[in-house]
Amino acid sequence: MAGLELISDQGYRIDGRKPTELRQIRCRLGVFTQADGSSYVEQGNTKVLASIYGPHEPSSNMRSKISHDKCIINCEYSQASFSSAERKHRPRGDRKSLDMAAHIKQTFESCIHTTLYPRSQIDIFLQILQSDGSNYCACVNAATLAIVDAGIAMKDYVCACSASLAKGTTLVDINHVEESAGCAELSAAVMPKLNKIVYSELNGRLHEDEIGKVLDSVVLGCNDMFAVMERTVREHVEETVSNFTHS
Amino acid sequence: MSSSTIVIKAPSKRRNNPIYAHASEVFLVTPGDVITEDADYMRGHGTYTNAGDEDNKLYASVAGVVERINKLVCVKALKTRYNGEVGDVVVGRIKEVQQKRWKVETNSRLDSTLQISSVNLPGGELRRRSAADELTMREYLKEGDLISAEVQQVHNDGMLSLHTRSLRYGKLGQGCCVVVSPSLIKRRKNHIHNLPCGATTILANNGYIWISITSGDACNEGDGGFNVNKEPVPLEEREVVCRLKNCIQCLAKSSVMLYDTSVLYAYESSLQYQVKEIMSEKVSLEIVNQTISLLEREKTGDG
Amino acid sequence: MSLFGNNLSDAEKCFIIHGIQDDFRTDGRSCDNYRTIELAVNVLTNTHGSSKVRLGNTELLVGVKVELGKPEKATPDEGRIEFHVDCSPNATPAAQRKAANKDFVNNIESMLVRTYANKIAIDLTSLCIIKGKMCWIVHVDVLILECGGNILDCTSLGVKSALQDTGIPRVVVKSGDEGEEEVELPDDPFDVQHISVNNVPILVTVSFVGTRHIIDATVEEESCCSASVVMGVTRRGRILGVRKQCGGSLNPETLVEMLEFGKKSGRQLHVALDKMLKSYEKGTTGYL
Repeated sequence: MAGLELISDQGYRIDGRKPTELRQIRCRLGVFTQADGSSYVEQGNTKVLASIYGPHEPSSNMRSKISHDKCIINCEYSQASFSSAERKHRPRGDRKSLDMAAHIKQTFESCIHTTLYPRSQIDIFLQILQSDGSNYCACVNAATLAIVDAGIAMKDYVCACSASLAKGTTLVDINHVEESAGCAELSAAVMPKLNKIVYSELNGRLHEDEIGKVLDSVVLGCNDMFAVMERTVREHVEETVSNFTHS
Repeated sequence: MSSSTIVIKAPSKRRNNPIYAHASEVFLVTPGDVITEDADYMRGHGTYTNAGDEDNKLYASVAGVVERINKLVCVKALKTRYNGEVGDVVVGRIKEVQQKRWKVETNSRLDSTLQISSVNLPGGELRRRSAADELTMREYLKEGDLISAEVQQVHNDGMLSLHTRSLRYGKLGQGCCVVVSPSLIKRRKNHIHNLPCGATTILANNGYIWISITSGDACNEGDGGFNVNKEPVPLEEREVVCRLKNCIQCLAKSSVMLYDTSVLYAYESSLQYQVKEIMSEKVSLEIVNQTISLLEREKTGDG
Repeated sequence: MSLFGNNLSDAEKCFIIHGIQDDFRTDGRSCDNYRTIELAVNVLTNTHGSSKVRLGNTELLVGVKVELGKPEKATPDEGRIEFHVDCSPNATPAAQRKAANKDFVNNIESMLVRTYANKIAIDLTSLCIIKGKMCWIVHVDVLILECGGNILDCTSLGVKSALQDTGIPRVVVKSGDEGEEEVELPDDPFDVQHISVNNVPILVTVSFVGTRHIIDATVEEESCCSASVVMGVTRRGRILGVRKQCGGSLNPETLVEMLEFGKKSGRQLHVALDKMLKSYEKGTTGYL
């Protein structure tokens, strides 16, 4: 893109980060009392709220999809009107949101032990409060924390990260400006302890020689993300358990 | 009308109060952690193994505390939906009236059922249920009613069958219901308590806590809860019920286990404050701290 | 208006109604107490003004964005203010909700529009840039995150705080080529002007339960109330709009009593809100 340098000559990105550096991540579990599980994740300026309801009796409009041997996962993604720089008229129900919801549903179907909850339904609701790139990744991370908070059985954490390629260097955890620059962008969701890729998506054009490099940096980014999430969950569990065991 | 001042304040940093360092014997795990590689252990709730693995690694599937009972390993999650077991006391809300049974919502994975043959008829009669009984089901229990019941049977898919065939259970009358996570309810021999302050609480296993006044009449107690008393509750007794409700909500917010002793200690610690003050953050932390210190003292006093 | 109403048993409703008669509600409050209110402003970066309000269990976010546009033909020297309310899926766990949700949301929007659509609330002429050609359009977006009763009061508190926090870029009107007037945006993002919110209304919902009035009803109390009245009250105690909700009927004397009651609470809310905003230091958003 003319005039916009994604990497300066000294090797710094537009927001001052190094190419392999993630944005500042802050997260918290148990934000809402009404939901079975909830979480709040901030990745730089991207802010997401996730809440989980379930497993519970399927609602009337999902009756047709009841499965006798596993649970159905219902995912809804919505972006607040004030989340992006341009005011968004339709918070949900447009193609992009439905698409995103379907991807997230697919991601978690492979990771939640659905066979433990037959004939039930699990709802995953994601709300973007502020959008600054890597929306899918922030949503997956928030949903993972919310599922852990809800006590639903999972095989492993699911951490997601994005990367893009500019002037031969991979940039990890891209923000909105870097996303709109038009370079190829790869997002992937990974189960870090089992070292498996659950979902991946590539937008743009990437040469086959370079795809390995980008994928490696995405996986490294996911592992960094995992370290932060694991620490948050452990702290939360320790705090809660201290009151449990003393009573 | 009393003069009231409305105060709007900035949000405080939300933190659970980690006043007590957790005991080091407690083994905490998060999903995907390896609990043990020993093949001797049987796996319980919250664990799983990978079918294709050659080694018998046992992984955790939820975040919580590992419990080892002889050879059984399970992980107790901090918050879950209710998993019923036979003999549990539950409080549920009637969701639907169907042909020969009621569908009851009990904070579990699937709605529970209460068969018409599992309830007591008025006056304690013993007879076969007739077609007339089916038509008058709504006269006894309709949508929205709260009942206390016991789990009779757990089906293969996890659905619970309830019964109210004892005079201790039945439709609940005037009082308050507080919803907490089932993992906070301590398993005891008895879940229906008549507290010395004058209230009766049912700390049901499924996380629905019912608080009401202790009804004095012996005949009402043995009624099976058919006739609901709609007389206004006197102010002093109402205060007791509301105070208990607020205390239980404070304890639940700070993840303190709920049983008759902890609820009583919280009640006693709250007596110095007005009922409406208990919900404020400062006071609720005070009450929780005092409750925990009283419980600690009791524990070290015993052992 | 209880969309998320727990269906309560008759006995529970009885308990609540009798409690209100005795001026002792289920959480110990008296009829004219509000639950704890927490408020933060300037919480979102992509907006010109924002606020987050938590009233008991009800939580919502308000974002204000301004854009340049054409004024209405009927009022060429005034800008516009538009309200949009959205209910996040987080707030509704139960079986959906599409039709009921729409009614619920429309109700809030129409109440806001009604109380703001007069000459007193906001001086819309201050939003005009070039008469007949260009003005500021203020979009107020409300996002409901959790619903624990009394959503209208909470929304209006959020809207007032967000509007106070809103900074509209200070534009300069220049005459360009061909005699047309051009508008120039300032370079400095902090060169802003604020809207005056001195006469902005706060909505107060007074519910009639049994034979008494209460304010700040929880979801359970809302399901027991036979009628409720929503009014917009300004700081000076003027009422800008009234609507009666729910199916029950009211005596005219009762209606007047409820208006007086609501007016008193409305003024107290203004005092508390202004005090809080004056001493507010920008800090945490409240989630962390």
